[in-house]
Amino acid sequence: MQIDLDPAAELLGMVPPRFWLAAGVFLLSLVAGWLVGIVNRGILRRAGVPQAIEGTAIERTFQDLGSSTVVVLAKLSTYFVWGLGVIVALSVARVQVTAVFWTQAVGFLPQLFIATLILIVGVVVGDKVDLFVGERLRGLKVPQVSLFASLAKYTVFFVAALVALGQLGIAIEALLVLLFVYFFGLVFVGGVAFKDLLTSGAAGLYLLLNEPYGIGDRIRIGDRRGIVQEMDLFVTTVESQEGTEYIIPNRTVFRRGVVRVRE
Amino acid sequence: MTTLPGILADLVDGVDAVFLFSPSGSYYERATEIEAETEVVVVAPENAVDADVFVELPLEFENVRNRITYGIEGAIERNLVDDGDEVACLTAVFGSDIDTVTRVRADADSHSGVYDLFVNSRAEAGVIRDVLEVAIELGKKGQKGKPVGALFVVGDAGKVMNKSRPLSYNPFEKSHVHVGDPIVNVMLKEFSRLDGAFIISDSGKIVSAYRYLEPSAEGVDIPKGLGARHMAAGAITRDTNATAIVLSESDGLVRAFKGGELVLEIDPEDY
Repeated sequence: MQIDLDPAAELLGMVPPRFWLAAGVFLLSLVAGWLVGIVNRGILRRAGVPQAIEGTAIERTFQDLGSSTVVVLAKLSTYFVWGLGVIVALSVARVQVTAVFWTQAVGFLPQLFIATLILIVGVVVGDKVDLFVGERLRGLKVPQVSLFASLAKYTVFFVAALVALGQLGIAIEALLVLLFVYFFGLVFVGGVAFKDLLTSGAAGLYLLLNEPYGIGDRIRIGDRRGIVQEMDLFVTTVESQEGTEYIIPNRTVFRRGVVRVRE
Repeated sequence: MTTLPGILADLVDGVDAVFLFSPSGSYYERATEIEAETEVVVVAPENAVDADVFVELPLEFENVRNRITYGIEGAIERNLVDDGDEVACLTAVFGSDIDTVTRVRADADSHSGVYDLFVNSRAEAGVIRDVLEVAIELGKKGQKGKPVGALFVVGDAGKVMNKSRPLSYNPFEKSHVHVGDPIVNVMLKEFSRLDGAFIISDSGKIVSAYRYLEPSAEGVDIPKGLGARHMAAGAITRDTNATAIVLSESDGLVRAFKGGELVLEIDPEDY
């Protein structure tokens, strides 16, 4: 009867053990999240992500904010683990009031995480595509070609946004229709515009691989005859005796056939 | 009383144009403030100062004479200066900053062809530059430390192929590689131990190695004392529209031939 417990200890004793467990789970998740963040950062760095995304708009934005894409991605994974920890802790503690809300939240959290990840990756890839296409077309020295680079960039952005929204379970049918119309237009217009180039390229592939004739051979294609000076994927250059240079699309070479002239 | 600036002023007095060879941005800014009658022409590997009048140098000619000749011939060709114009050339000889002034009279008749070699050759200018660079590199290091000779025939490959015969199997048969690619340059150096010529097309594709050239050597005028390789190079460029670039095994110089004539002579050690 005379057990005189310390008031503090008494207070502690009143706390049900599941609350202790919950607190432990929460602490554990804090540590785990922190570790996951560090490991992730290390992995991303090791994988050469900072070099790969150097110079893209998103990296510059993050850098202006005093951070970097790698740090943000690592933080994201940390927050994910922490959020998970909170939910598990709450469910261990059996906090009834919020049960319904949290079950839904638990189902939603990973999707939100993945959607964010897809968005970031999409933006980075889009920027990279923009840089790459721009770099490739720079040699053309036509100012309008930057349009193609932006087009490629926004296509990637759009697809990434679609996938992310789909991940969140938002109705994207209308956007999908838009995407299909866009791609159909691209393929259709591209097919019509590049028809000749594509057929020439296909023929050129065979010509380059098998070399039925080579540089220096005397050939006749249709009524044009001369020495082969140059051959690439799309055209064959034939120079006649009089010094006229014919640039013949490989499509024509295939359609008309080649005559090799041997003395 | 004569002063040093006074003597120098005589040197640049009344020139029609000023040629700046690879100037820095601020130097060019200062030069553009000269009164309007003197034209300012920038000659450099690339237009780093955004000059209005610009002649591109394909190589950083270490030889100042070649550098200036190239700049002036390029300017005459593009009507930037006229025949007989007096030109002051400001260039760097010892350091990387401009430290030298020379006064030259632009003469359309004394045609060395250095500019022609790059710009008006059948092959693309970039291809000729790439081949020259391979030859220079090969001349500098040799093949495994031993001096080697090499002969590259660039451009008009179809005709050159018809005026030559294979010495052995062509290692570049059915391969579609181009000069300028670092790996291909290594291949070229490896194959330089083979005898015979390399044949390279207008667009830089390596058509063949191991070719024995059989042009008619009639009327080819090359300096006496050069060997069979140079003779073959001179002759093939007379017979076809090709350009030949030769690395000499004996004296280690790189020479370029066009139209049967020696156009350019450079020492690989200078680069």
